[in-house]
Amino acid sequence: MAAAASTPEPSSGWDFKCNFEVDYGSEEQASIVYKTLAIDKELQPDKVKREMTVSGGKLFVHFEAVEARFLRASFSAFVDLMVLVTKLVEEYGVADS
Amino acid sequence: MSSAPSPASRRPLGPLALGLESSANKIGIGVVSLSGEILSNPRHTYVTPPGHGFLPRETAQHHLVHLLPLLRAALADAGVAPADLACVCYTKGPGMGGPLQVAAAAARALSLLWRKPLVAVNHCVAHIEMGRAVTGAVDPVVLYVSGGNTQVIAYSEGRYRIFGETIDIAVGNCLDRFARVLELSNDPNPGYNIEQLAKKGEKFIDLPYVVKGMDVSFSGILSFIEAAAIEKLKNNECTPADLCYSLQETVFAMLVEITERAMAHCDSKDVLIVGGVGCNERLQEMMRIMCSERGGRLFATDDRYCIDNGAMIAYTGLLAYAHGVTTPLEESTFTQRFRTDEVQAIWREKEMPVLSNIHADAMAEVSKDEASMPTPIIVDS
Repeated sequence: MAAAASTPEPSSGWDFKCNFEVDYGSEEQASIVYKTLAIDKELQPDKVKREMTVSGGKLFVHFEAVEARFLRASFSAFVDLMVLVTKLVEEYGVADS
Repeated sequence: MSSAPSPASRRPLGPLALGLESSANKIGIGVVSLSGEILSNPRHTYVTPPGHGFLPRETAQHHLVHLLPLLRAALADAGVAPADLACVCYTKGPGMGGPLQVAAAAARALSLLWRKPLVAVNHCVAHIEMGRAVTGAVDPVVLYVSGGNTQVIAYSEGRYRIFGETIDIAVGNCLDRFARVLELSNDPNPGYNIEQLAKKGEKFIDLPYVVKGMDVSFSGILSFIEAAAIEKLKNNECTPADLCYSLQETVFAMLVEITERAMAHCDSKDVLIVGGVGCNERLQEMMRIMCSERGGRLFATDDRYCIDNGAMIAYTGLLAYAHGVTTPLEESTFTQRFRTDEVQAIWREKEMPVLSNIHADAMAEVSKDEASMPTPIIVDS
């Protein structure tokens, strides 16, 4: 899992950004994780935005926040949940491709 | 907990469901059949140090760690494979957001992985259905008492209607928080330790008695006894046991009062107590006396069933599933607020076949002429 956090561009308010991707090696597994995690929206959409895409067996996640602490809280809660869902996929997923 | 006979010796009737519960400080996963048989029901509780409550974030962390081991245990104990299940059920609410999310997300993933439909379940309704299934109570007035909820409920025209409830904190919250004042252990749960200490109480201390029509209030009682505890214990006017005893007698009397009024209103003779506080034997004893005076029966269960567990979610989800209700993935959210009377109890409308599988070991139907005292638990060492 590769993560890269970066900070400012000329301010649009959403100055705190974070991108990371997880390689599941399977389009089906990546999309199961995507569908599972996409249901729960960010609780403060005026402070944190999250976008996800699936491509080539990878899940791409993009966070934007107006303050570092909101980014940190959302990112950390999201990753904790993603780890659980990934474990479930590893345990019960049928490897395709 | 549940010591199940070997899987091979059982042939459960009807479809099976897996249920995931994580709305408060317990995470539980159960497998049940539509006939009411519990094939497995492992659970793990987040126990905090004396003097401390459980916070959403830490509780969710606990659930994240224990979910997968519990899931493996639930399937192994039941002796079933994912393919044997009809549906995957989870607690939609009410409860604490962070903890709720753990079971909701896991249920979604399992539903997708196993290609099984999802069923979202109301936690309060699940307590009621579990209580009915385990005790065989058909149409009782229900007292639902736990750390997060206090409601008097009866079924009427398609829904479980709330006849009375707390207007502030739950009775279990009142007891738990008083246990923190006394720094009692939270293991196995603070209410249990209050109950044991209360048995040694001798002196009754007058506390506010707050019944407002059909509703009750506990926050003022808690404030009063917190202040009284500090003052009276300092001056050696009473013991912690006296305070526990007085608190239990007062709040349970309030609950019995509103339950009795609901019985009169509904013209019902039977009472079912569910929820974590429902395993308190003093509450059961007081309720039993009231019921017997009205010629009725008390139905109650022990800690295996009245404390939050996965089987109650599985069973209630399965009732809905058997009546054609499932939850599309897009709607498989969770919510902190979810009232008991929001749920259309469709399985009660079309009269279900009477549950064939009443658990003989559950404490049910106490006959009224028996001088019924619960077996005392010996606490002195």
